[in-house]
Amino acid sequence: MDMDTVQAKSALAVDIGTTITRTLLFDVVSGRYRLIGRGTAKTTAGSPKFDVTEGIWRSLEELQYFTGRKLLSEKEGVIIPSTPDNQGADFMVATMSAGNPISVVTVGLLDNVSLNNARKLAQTSYTKIIAEISLNDHRSATERINLLTKKRPDLIIITGGTNNGATQSLLSILESIGLSSFMLEESQKPHILFAGNEKLQDEVKAGLEKISKLHIAPNLQPMLGKTNFSAAQKELNEIYKEVRKQQTGGLRELLSWTDGSFNSTASALGRVTRFLSEKYEPDKGVMGVDIGSDSVILAAAFQGDETLRVYPNSGVGGGAAGVLERSSLEDIKRWLPIKVPDSTIKNYIYNKSAYPDSLPTEEDHLEIELAVAKQALRQAALDMIPSLEKHTSSSKILLPPLEPIIGAGRILIEAPKRYQSLSVLLDGLQPTGVTTLALDQNGILPGLGAISEINPLMTVQIIESNTFLNLGTIIAPIGIARPGTPILRVRLLREDGRTTTRDIKFGTLSVLPAEMGEKISLHLRPLHRFDVGMGGPGKSGKVNAVGGALGIIIDARGRPLQFHPDEEKNIQRNDIWRKTYQKYA
Amino acid sequence: MTTKVKHFHSLTSIKRERVLPVTGHVLVRRMQKVSPTDVIVVAPMAPEFNLLDISQGLNVSPQKADELLQREAGEELVKDDIIAGPVGVFKRVIRAPESGLIRIAGEGKVLFQINTPAYELKAGMDGTVTNIIPERGAIIETRGALIQGVWGNGKITYGVIQPVSNDLLQELVPEQLHIGFRGAIITGGFCRNPNVLEAASNIPIKGMILGSMSSALIPLAKKADYPIMVIDGFGNTPMNRTAESILSANKEKNIALNAQNYNPFQGNYPEVIISQNAKTEPEVPPETGSLKAGKKVIIVNGLLASKIGKIEEIIPQKKVLPSGLSTRVATVSFSGDELAEIPLTNLEIIQE
Repeated sequence: MDMDTVQAKSALAVDIGTTITRTLLFDVVSGRYRLIGRGTAKTTAGSPKFDVTEGIWRSLEELQYFTGRKLLSEKEGVIIPSTPDNQGADFMVATMSAGNPISVVTVGLLDNVSLNNARKLAQTSYTKIIAEISLNDHRSATERINLLTKKRPDLIIITGGTNNGATQSLLSILESIGLSSFMLEESQKPHILFAGNEKLQDEVKAGLEKISKLHIAPNLQPMLGKTNFSAAQKELNEIYKEVRKQQTGGLRELLSWTDGSFNSTASALGRVTRFLSEKYEPDKGVMGVDIGSDSVILAAAFQGDETLRVYPNSGVGGGAAGVLERSSLEDIKRWLPIKVPDSTIKNYIYNKSAYPDSLPTEEDHLEIELAVAKQALRQAALDMIPSLEKHTSSSKILLPPLEPIIGAGRILIEAPKRYQSLSVLLDGLQPTGVTTLALDQNGILPGLGAISEINPLMTVQIIESNTFLNLGTIIAPIGIARPGTPILRVRLLREDGRTTTRDIKFGTLSVLPAEMGEKISLHLRPLHRFDVGMGGPGKSGKVNAVGGALGIIIDARGRPLQFHPDEEKNIQRNDIWRKTYQKYA
Repeated sequence: MTTKVKHFHSLTSIKRERVLPVTGHVLVRRMQKVSPTDVIVVAPMAPEFNLLDISQGLNVSPQKADELLQREAGEELVKDDIIAGPVGVFKRVIRAPESGLIRIAGEGKVLFQINTPAYELKAGMDGTVTNIIPERGAIIETRGALIQGVWGNGKITYGVIQPVSNDLLQELVPEQLHIGFRGAIITGGFCRNPNVLEAASNIPIKGMILGSMSSALIPLAKKADYPIMVIDGFGNTPMNRTAESILSANKEKNIALNAQNYNPFQGNYPEVIISQNAKTEPEVPPETGSLKAGKKVIIVNGLLASKIGKIEEIIPQKKVLPSGLSTRVATVSFSGDELAEIPLTNLEIIQE
């Protein structure tokens, strides 16, 4: 596409993470949009500055330095739009994940239906559910009022009733919410998001509009068997913006630079994943993964149908202790390829939570962080898999077919060896069939998600500009066999005509070396009715793969991955897998 | 590179905001001297409500119930005062369940706010009120020693500090605790034995300050009925030398121990404040500073955690750490001419 058809605009994207504020500059080079440069600085949203602008300013200063382009003016702040002498950028977008989670009370009629929908909606942003109200809890109106006035949530999400369903039961709960909201001081009145029976919208407005910050979204479950989260998710993103605006210094100034464009990092990641799912293979989904300091985000999309989950109090920095507290020490130890005393692991995790910016100096400390990352991702994947059930044909405990999976986050980007980034994604997610693992090495996914709203072409062209690092093509057959049983015959045909055939045994991890970008034709013939994603168990097929940083990885370790009950043997096995990667890393 | 300044000061100016999250009544005035136990603001924290269904109670329609109401919103009642009625053969009435206030009345219902004891926010430190935050609290200033920590169990106290031994670098063991520590805030190098926390509770002590603590003790420490503050981190590392010398120099003095939960994003750190009658007026220390040669620093993570040294040089190029990570480092010297290269991310500045 030449410049005549391209809307020529440069863009700045800022992402305010818990520890790092990243700025990115995109512009047109040789007729196509490209990433021009990246700046980073410490986030200043929290103590002692309590003002995001200082971190943004420093990050932009670094970006200015690296790109040689003037972006800041002492008088006007960020130079928006760009000037004829190529200073500044035409527009700016902002995303943010920093800040304590928004406290939420979910309200629904029944635990396993409407309340579950409210939980799922809350999980699409940086929230912490502090209480739940439903008909099942048998609380009296008085108890509900006291619960809400004591907890003082930032947000109440109300769902329940299909559009032709019950009204009276929900109205009785709404009365308690209205009374409690009325009793709270103005500054403490919660945002209320009503996404329930649409027939009640007028009554909800009449009862709650004047005494709370009311938001109305279409019913999450308009009829039995049908859910619709997208509009409510959008509304939740607006509430996120409002709450952060109240809590975060400098946000109003930032919004003046971005002309109001502001998304949670998770919401932007969800959007770009959805965007990619419409571009890549239609029969598979796309997954975006962000392992942050304080949270983990998983976004999966299938032909535009997006599922987004945010897991606060997780991750590898401030959230590391949360990962340990929600699982067990054994769950983290099972990923380690070296013997580390229990007390060292636990103490390291708690110290890392206290000092999230600090880096592991020793090898065993890095291995602990990688193990925490794998466990954080595993926890998140296991929680998300049931929501992807409609896209899975084979199993309810495994991820559906995905192509590609793109990982982001400091632990993945800064890992000393590429196999370490790959193994976090591979072990944590345990994808099946054939997929590609890629790395968002410049941290541009959230920015592209935000930009796609304003200039979708820019997002498309930047994605096409090989901005993601291909870590490797993964082939992961599903089935059960004795360890050592051949389960897959792989024939590789390289571009130069060389052919190799390998028999893959169950329980092994193999790396087939390939040059970065090398095109390889793979013929996969599963044995013993193993399923390699070619249309069903035992079905063979041909795959055109591209060599990544680690070549092609055949993960025949089984799904879900089983661990050896003997700790020593488990460590030995992890070490064998590590050494397999190291041979080619 | 800019980093956090760790607050270990033998004498500094300390300014703290003590406020309630809700509207209350401020009891202090500007320039008033306060001690830790003085109440500075009171408020009816989290009032209890009772939604009375008058219509159902009197077995009448909501409209009729409204007609039978004897009270209106805003009226204060004592227990058993009649709210509505009488009605019917048996002259049924609805009475106030407790002393309290009618907040809303109508449509057959009454929202009744029960009088609850006021929450009292105490000063928590010796000092002078330098500013009033209307209806919320006050700003208190003092001069003295300040030690910040990285973990607290959410409790607060005031009392006399007593080191358990003369060596605050050593492990605190149950055998060291005895009845002589009753009512004292004790200090120790590090603790990994749960019996220490239990023995301290039995004495009972008033508070505990540790250099480090085994993370295995966190659940027990959270449940302890006295404040516990950890200065450096988790593990078996001795207390850092600077904090140790400040605590040793102030033994037998009254200290304010605020072992609030650690939330660096909000700027909430557990801390010890030891007010002093200093003649000089030291400056309020900065919260951040630039890492550069000559700065005194503390190492916050890794094998040398809690050691204090001096930056000799910031190395301009990135270095590869034993972990394989590549990052900017500083050469830090320690006592005994020992040198080590430490990632800049693992350093915090000490400005005594």
